[in-house]
Amino acid sequence: MAILGVDVGGTFTDAVLVEEGRIRTAKVPTAARQEESVLAAARGVGVGDGLTRFAHGTTVATNALLERRGARVAYVGNAGFEHLLHLRRQTRAHLYRLCAEHPEPLVPLERCHGVRGRLGPDGELEPLSLDALPDLGDAEAVAVCLLFAFRDPSHEQAVADELQRRHPGVHVVASHEVAPEFREYERASTTAADAYLVPVAARYLDALAAAAAEAGLPEPVVMLSSGGVASVAEAAAHPARLLVSGPAGGVVGAGLLARRAGFEDAIAFDMGGTSTDVCLLPGGLAARVPEREVGGLPIRLPSVDVHTVGAGGGSLVRRDAGGALRVGPESAGADPGPACYGRGGGATVTDANLLLGRLPDELPGGLVLDRDAAAAALDGVDPAAVVEVVNAEMLRALRVVSVERGHDPREFVLVAYGGAGPLHACALAEELGAEAVLVPVAAGVLSALGLAASEERRDRVVSHVRPLAEVGGLPDEGEADLRYRGQSFELTVRLGGDLAERFHGAHEERYGYADRGRDVELVAVRTAEVTPGPELALPGGESQRLSGPALHELDGSTLWIPPGWEGVRDGSSWVVTRE
Amino acid sequence: MSDVNATIQLQVIGASLRSIAEEMGAVLIRSSFSANIKERRDCSSALFDERGRMIAQAEHIPVHLGAMPDAVAAVMRLGLERGQVAILNDPYTGGTHLPDVTLVSRTVLGFAVSRAHHADVGGIEPASLPAFSHTLEEEGVILPPQLLTDEVLERFVHATRQPDERRGDLRAQLASHRLAEQRIEELCARRGPDRVAAAMDELYAYSERMVRAAIAALPDGRGQAEDVVEAVEGDLAISCTVEIDGDAIRIDFAGTAQQYDGNLNCPLSVTKSACFFVVRCLTEPDLPASGGAFAPVSVTAPEGCLVNARPPAAVAAGNTETSSRIVDVVFAALGKLVPVPAAGQGTMNNLALGNDRFTYYETVGGGQGACPDADGPSGVHVAMSNTLATPAEAIELEYPLRVERWELRRGAGGKGAHYGGDGVVRELRVLEDCRLSVLAERRRHAPPGRSGGEDGARGLTLVNGEEQPPKLTRQLRAGDVVRVETPGGGGRGRPQ
Repeated sequence: MAILGVDVGGTFTDAVLVEEGRIRTAKVPTAARQEESVLAAARGVGVGDGLTRFAHGTTVATNALLERRGARVAYVGNAGFEHLLHLRRQTRAHLYRLCAEHPEPLVPLERCHGVRGRLGPDGELEPLSLDALPDLGDAEAVAVCLLFAFRDPSHEQAVADELQRRHPGVHVVASHEVAPEFREYERASTTAADAYLVPVAARYLDALAAAAAEAGLPEPVVMLSSGGVASVAEAAAHPARLLVSGPAGGVVGAGLLARRAGFEDAIAFDMGGTSTDVCLLPGGLAARVPEREVGGLPIRLPSVDVHTVGAGGGSLVRRDAGGALRVGPESAGADPGPACYGRGGGATVTDANLLLGRLPDELPGGLVLDRDAAAAALDGVDPAAVVEVVNAEMLRALRVVSVERGHDPREFVLVAYGGAGPLHACALAEELGAEAVLVPVAAGVLSALGLAASEERRDRVVSHVRPLAEVGGLPDEGEADLRYRGQSFELTVRLGGDLAERFHGAHEERYGYADRGRDVELVAVRTAEVTPGPELALPGGESQRLSGPALHELDGSTLWIPPGWEGVRDGSSWVVTRE
Repeated sequence: MSDVNATIQLQVIGASLRSIAEEMGAVLIRSSFSANIKERRDCSSALFDERGRMIAQAEHIPVHLGAMPDAVAAVMRLGLERGQVAILNDPYTGGTHLPDVTLVSRTVLGFAVSRAHHADVGGIEPASLPAFSHTLEEEGVILPPQLLTDEVLERFVHATRQPDERRGDLRAQLASHRLAEQRIEELCARRGPDRVAAAMDELYAYSERMVRAAIAALPDGRGQAEDVVEAVEGDLAISCTVEIDGDAIRIDFAGTAQQYDGNLNCPLSVTKSACFFVVRCLTEPDLPASGGAFAPVSVTAPEGCLVNARPPAAVAAGNTETSSRIVDVVFAALGKLVPVPAAGQGTMNNLALGNDRFTYYETVGGGQGACPDADGPSGVHVAMSNTLATPAEAIELEYPLRVERWELRRGAGGKGAHYGGDGVVRELRVLEDCRLSVLAERRRHAPPGRSGGEDGARGLTLVNGEEQPPKLTRQLRAGDVVRVETPGGGGRGRPQ
């Protein structure tokens, strides 16, 4: 049995082939046509016959949204609410930059339309009037979002059906199909993003499936934001579900590795060149959130709870007018890269690490690092101070996903990957009090490994917004969004058992108090149909002891083991370090 | 350790202090019950040092910027001990207006402060924002600075229209204080109280350095401007002189109308907040909030005038409406010296509905004035507020109200080389008999354009299609429709 995982990143496309306890990896530059890089990476690991699974993580949807390369979309809402996507929630973009603009909505005003007819919380207030439906002009896709469709989709479905009848070539998305949850702006925003992405995602996924078939590979499965894979057809139907596809693979890989290494609770820490993603994995499973922002737009879909900060190894170092040392968000990127690459780049975190002796003089691939250039660029700034400042940013992110979510990081292992993760992990674990640091030997391609191992997943959500006491017949597995009647923010707890008591406990843990006398409201129930992923046989081998201070070279990264730290390399899959 | 590293250590501890303030704010917003707090984020949290200086603040709206230090100063006089919490809302001893309830507690190193806008504090009209109050007492329960005991808490909540909701909000506020106290204790244990104290000093000094440097880069000089607020009895003048002098700014309100019998009066703390807001916009908009940022700014106003009112003057509209106009006037005065935006909608369009069963309050966004280099955004809160709109689906699930319309008021923004932002049209139908209060501005006078730009459209308030005065309180019957058309922002530069 051979399993292939291919992860497309901004700069590189990584492939991992797992076959009978052996892992082969490949890295190729990401091309403009992602499907070509995917196939090139697959060839790079030498796929042959007997490949049973081909799992794929893609940034096609995310890039199309961020770079605004999606479809011409029209929007149909209730008459009187046509401008919803432009009104947002009425906050301005910046408290003190008065004319700062939010990201432009995906649908321009002239393509926003209204339809007469209205549902309220308890049923129809005004019958639907399909005669007055707008002409969609040259729109390629249309998003339909009507008030209370999360509770009663009948008006919305009728509008969608009629639009499809009149415009057979236009892709129609109704809000209840994508995100049947209450709060109209967030639902509309998600629906518009979905419609916007459909043509781009469909073109890409079709091309990929065709190329895979031609190369004799199985049809790919595609990583969703929620951390599970789905078929090409499912992914193409609602591509807003792909917006966190990229980071999700790494998080799944971190969970896999933690479980195999015998840890229960983990924090994934992926520090790359320009940004860092962190995610909590209680019980080894990625924490999920029901909503997140992508490119400034709320997306109401389940996604792994990845928290991103704009600092990484390539982040530029500067002093501001008040004398404070700042690291990021500007980055030296791949070109010119850090000063030590000798191509005229500015001072970065990587340069500081080099001067501290935490990087080898030559990178795998043959790039010789220039210490003098690094020292000149830092211009007297203490490299230890640079690392301290960037670590403070990382620590803040790690605390957001752990302490601020009511979890004690002392019980967690820090799984460090990405190009710069293993360099900073031990210092961060010490500050955080984390139990240990776990580093994959394949630190540069953990996302691809996560893809290979990922489960299949179909998420469902049913909205309730009514007292918990009135709702019966809930499923045993899944999650529920609950709140005290009168609150606006929900806490998500696992289904099963005494749900109300579980909610009181979660509220107490998160906010410091519970109010057992108050009514609990059930806002939504989230379930997932899950087919477990394959059991991967990871490579074994002789174990090796390491003790700090030491540099340990990994595939695509360098592990820095500070003085006072001990490590064990367990064959060729991972390294565990402890203070 | 080198000096550089010592400074960096302080910077790193400073970042922890800021995240504690932010975490406090997150707990408060996510576990509270008042729509004002949970949906509109009309609340702030902050950490103060032993000397009562504001070190870090999680700000969601700017109106609390300058008013918190006065609250801590008032509480410090009580001699607060660890484990004790003080409460206040009196605008004349550290508060802003009565619905803003402030808690102050002792940490191992300084104070934690939270301020949240409660939906009702028992005034003569639901939501405690009556249009026609004449004295502070009519606007609700007055809490001078005092220890928050169970007895004080119960007495307060029972004097309001929804005691359960008030109790829930206070618990959320208290939870945020427990969190801050615990986090500060952990930080001191880890880094040592001396270093945390040094980091507090540095955070304060850093903001002051940054703002002084930015002010020093502006041309010295003096500017003067005047504008009005629209009282029931007629317009009331606000006059302002600003002087940029080296790395400091002086703002004075001599020539402003006397405090009067209505509720557009402001305590000086609110006036200071408005002035600090403008200075922040023009100097260091991205700087994390700390009291040091305002050390270079002095604000003075004659005692007993509209913007430095004395008890028992009513202040319900001062916090939301007069503060907006102070921002306009200070911008206009500084506009004589440096490029500034045209006037925005200049009102929060406060709308309160309620009866014995429910209280609903919202503020409605409008047009931002055009900036020197950009059009003004449409349908947003300008100046001293930045609260979220409550979703129509949330309103209709929770209140006997129906949202009939929420759309851009196209063409309301003033034309110019850069256009002012458009206002919005919002229509609410009430499904039960209830009371309506509206506190709004720019109904008689349109938001002015600047440098040849045209004025924005003035705002309108309509009940069943009939135009209403800027301030009103009246009875509504089930089925009545309130329509608010919010003002557009002024344009800037001659239209091309």
